[in-house]
This record gives sequence, C-alpha cells and structure tokens, in this order.
Amino acid sequence: MSEKGEHEGNRGPATTRRRALMLGATGAVAVVSIRPALAQTAASVAHCEIPVPDPGRAGSYIAADGSLVPPGTAGAFPPVGKPLKGEDVKVALSGGQLPGTTADQSRAYTNYIRRLQSGTSGFTCFASLQMPRG
Amino acid sequence: MPDPLYRMARAEALRIVHLDSFIAVFHRDSGLTHLLAAPAPEIMATLGEAGLSRAALAARLAAEFELADLDDAALAERLDELVACGLVAAA
Repeated sequence: MSEKGEHEGNRGPATTRRRALMLGATGAVAVVSIRPALAQTAASVAHCEIPVPDPGRAGSYIAADGSLVPPGTAGAFPPVGKPLKGEDVKVALSGGQLPGTTADQSRAYTNYIRRLQSGTSGFTCFASLQMPRG
Repeated sequence: MPDPLYRMARAEALRIVHLDSFIAVFHRDSGLTHLLAAPAPEIMATLGEAGLSRAALAARLAAEFELADLDDAALAERLDELVACGLVAAA
C-alpha cells in the first residue's frame, strides 16, 4: 500500500491552495517581548505602545467610529502626538478615558484601536492587552 | 554590504505555543517570552536553522504564500525585529 501513499503525496502542487500572508507596513510591529520579572504584573502592558494612527497612515484623522479619514475632516479628531501607552489603553478599553482627551476623542481613538488588525502597528500590543493574566 | 544569512534560533532552545492568531515563544537562551503575530512565525519557519539570505527568504515566502505586499523594506524590518529579540541570528 506504500505505492498508493506515494501516489497521493504527489498530488501536492495541483491541490494546494497558498495561504495569504501580509508582510505589514514599515513601522508595524510583529513581535512583543515579555520580560520574566514583569510577566506576572500588570506593569508589563505599560511597556508596549500603540501609535494612533499607524505610521503608514500618519497625518490621517480619526473619525468617531475609529476609521481613518483625510486630515481636517469635520467631526474627526487629529492624530495622537505620542504613541499611547498600553496601560492607558487598557483603562480606556474597559470604559475609562485616555489621558489628555475629551470623552468623544477618547472614544474615537479607542474605536480605532479595537479595529486594529494583524500587521498594523500596535496590533500585538492591543492583542497582549486582551490576554488574561495570572 | 553583502546580504547576511538569517537563521532561526536552535529549535531545542524554543518552546512554542500556538494561540489563536499568534504564537508565544519561550526562548530558553534568554529566558524571555515573545508574542509573535504574522508574518513573524512564517518567517521563522521559512528560515529554519539552515538559514537563508533576505533575497532567498523573499523568494521562498513568495512561492509558499499569496503575498499581498512583498516589500523589501518591510521584510528587512520584520527580520530586524526577530534579530533584536534573539529569535533569529544574522551572520
């Protein structure tokens, strides 16, 4: 029966569907490192940062629903000057407000972060904030 | 500058756990744990311990995956990240 096995193995190229893969924009981050001394404390999340918006879309404004819109769009908010700290984002995601922002602004930025996808700057940080600890 | 050869860290030094959309890698040599999102795990797996130049890696990835954005600068950045955290060595 080994002949049959080999024959089936040869079907490869015709039946394989290649998986899609994005390399991501320059400035995106695909690796977050956790240092052992911090791994068990909430402090570790303070070490990652989320730029709003992604450096690949620098200058874009952030609409109330979190989508990126051209600079100056009415009702949208300007980019955040410095990347947001993981700790602040964690508070905002659980109903708090980002420091130095109005309630509407904070909601727009938080909506943007919720829409982050793999390959976008800040995604891995956002993902690690969702992980239960302890 | 010649294209360096990139190699994955020794497989026996790594403990890999697959999570939903990313993997957690414990690196025994450094004692650090790293969370990797795509395309980092795919890059590591493609490099293997034998190692590839960046150009060869790009060709291998393009053959293996449907690459929507094959950009040399982005690939260089992804490799730099992996080198910086010690999961890939460049020589």
